[in-house]
Amino acid sequence: MAIKKHTPKIAFLSPPSSEVPYAIGIPAIVWQVLFFYIPLLIIVFSSILKISDQGSIQGITLAKLTVFFTPTYAKIIGSSILLAVSNAILCLFIAYPIAYFLAFRVKRFKNLFLFLLIVPFWTNFLLHVYAWFFVLEREGFLNTLLRWLGIISEPIHFLNSIFAIMVMMVYYYMPFMLMPIYASLERFDSKLIEASMDLGANWRQTFRRILLPLTSRGVRSGFFLVYIPSFGEFAIPELMGGDKQMFVGSVVSHYILGDQTGSLGAAFTVLSCIILLISAVALYWIIERLLSSKVLNG
Amino acid sequence: MRSIKLENLRKSINKGLIISKVNLNIPAGKFFALLGPSGCGKTTLLRLIAGLDSVDSGIIYLGDEDITHKPINERPVNIVFQNYALFPHLNVFDNVAYSLKLKKLPKIIIQQKVFKILEAFHLQDHIYKLTSQLSGGQQQRVALARAIVNEPDVLLLDEPLAALDFKLREKMLIELIELQDKLKTTFIYVTHDQFEALTVADQMAIMNHKGEIEQIGTPKEIYEFPISSFVAKFVGTTNILQGQLSNLSHESEISIPDLGTFKIHLPQKKEWMIEGANILMSIRPEKILISKKEVKNFSNSLKGTVQSIVYHGRSTQYNILLSNNIRLQVFEQNEEHFPQEVIDYDNEVYLYWQKENAVILEK
Repeated sequence: MAIKKHTPKIAFLSPPSSEVPYAIGIPAIVWQVLFFYIPLLIIVFSSILKISDQGSIQGITLAKLTVFFTPTYAKIIGSSILLAVSNAILCLFIAYPIAYFLAFRVKRFKNLFLFLLIVPFWTNFLLHVYAWFFVLEREGFLNTLLRWLGIISEPIHFLNSIFAIMVMMVYYYMPFMLMPIYASLERFDSKLIEASMDLGANWRQTFRRILLPLTSRGVRSGFFLVYIPSFGEFAIPELMGGDKQMFVGSVVSHYILGDQTGSLGAAFTVLSCIILLISAVALYWIIERLLSSKVLNG
Repeated sequence: MRSIKLENLRKSINKGLIISKVNLNIPAGKFFALLGPSGCGKTTLLRLIAGLDSVDSGIIYLGDEDITHKPINERPVNIVFQNYALFPHLNVFDNVAYSLKLKKLPKIIIQQKVFKILEAFHLQDHIYKLTSQLSGGQQQRVALARAIVNEPDVLLLDEPLAALDFKLREKMLIELIELQDKLKTTFIYVTHDQFEALTVADQMAIMNHKGEIEQIGTPKEIYEFPISSFVAKFVGTTNILQGQLSNLSHESEISIPDLGTFKIHLPQKKEWMIEGANILMSIRPEKILISKKEVKNFSNSLKGTVQSIVYHGRSTQYNILLSNNIRLQVFEQNEEHFPQEVIDYDNEVYLYWQKENAVILEK
């Protein structure tokens, strides 16, 4: 009788080989549970549990969630979505041409360019913010330049505005968009562009019918790599926008750090996470439709 | 169907000269092959005609029209790429329909045209498959169909069969010839494979390493009457012997050191044909008769020793060592199962050839 070797049907569930046991994944799982799942559960529970002044659990309540069902908070969540979407779109429009340039036009100094894009991440975030202060302040670089060019006569107040927030957001999140798009363009066979043009397509048609559909994976992952963290961003609006603009991140940090309001912060976090999830799914669907070859190829 | 005319074409890439002063007439409705060693600039020449690269100087005519500076997507010229460059996110139908959709033709016309051409290329069972699901030969046919459905004036083929195995390549060559016969489109076929070029071409041009056109002619002219040793060696196999021209006034001869003098045939007088000039003689291996016996009625004969024998099936190749230590190749058809004369290693043999079957070259 021939001995049949047992071959598992789902490769994902079987260890790569007997020498590499499951145990190798334990540290990562412990880490993930301790610092991600447990804190997440704490946030969820503290947002729905009714706790007395003495600290005993008295049941479940939705009161802490419904506190936020007001136009003020709806507006804050709305402006967070708006901030994140516009940041992702701006990053996309700036990053795609750069990635294209890097992937197809730069031949000799490709690694140097990529290195220069990564370098800013080696310095502290606050230093980036201060650097932008110097650029945007009343007597800063941008105002000096505009006055020197004769475009303006009086310095413009750039800081503490939506403009300053957007500049910093786009600046900071750009590499998250650029890298996945660059990766998908790297894999793209540039002969396909030549083939498309040879068959009579102009540059715009080639982009819509060939280049965009074939790099849609990079565009999609770049979009969500920027969209999701921008939604909860609180440092940049706080530092660049002054107190004028309220976003989800600022509300959460306000309650969590405030006196006796931690569970309200948790409740708002849960609420905004749900909305983030819904908005991400909706955006995914919209992007999918826009990028589908049916729409693009008419 | 229109002709292509190249006038003084020049192109350099990264300061290296790829194509220097190419003048070429490609007649309308002909199957034209451009043959040359790898890296000789033949693909660049094709890219210039397609408009994928721009020329440094010179003019490209399509018929009477100067298309040198016409953008690529407006040229009525289509190219079949070496690795096909099929669109991986589109199925066979959408790949072939690509150019028709860009022209905004009515849907029903597009469908008719695409179905018709896919049927002609035996692809009717694969219409809605992605191109990655097809075999190499099928992908090749999709690439052809995609280029032809557009009804170009000139079809450019850049080593289109390089990725296919030998049997399939032979089959596709015949299909290409028949296709060109039917369409009467001007085909320009670039290859480094002399067998492919000789098979398909009505007319062919040979390019050398310097990016120059060395000779233009029909396959037969190129093979039988090469004008240089480069062409003679690149197209087919040949034996080149070096010697001096002598006895010009009477019956011309070549004298080869340590070997003797041999009668030669000079159909055309050239200025370099002077008494005592260094010349080359090219004799194709199949034009030499090999025998152990003495044979009459040949203008030239030689003696040598069989050094090695390579059996090819339909022919046998003998490598013969001559008295001046030069080796000659001889092909003999294997006409009989049991030949009267068996030639073996180390046999002393005679080699015979008619003077008209050797070509005299300057360089």
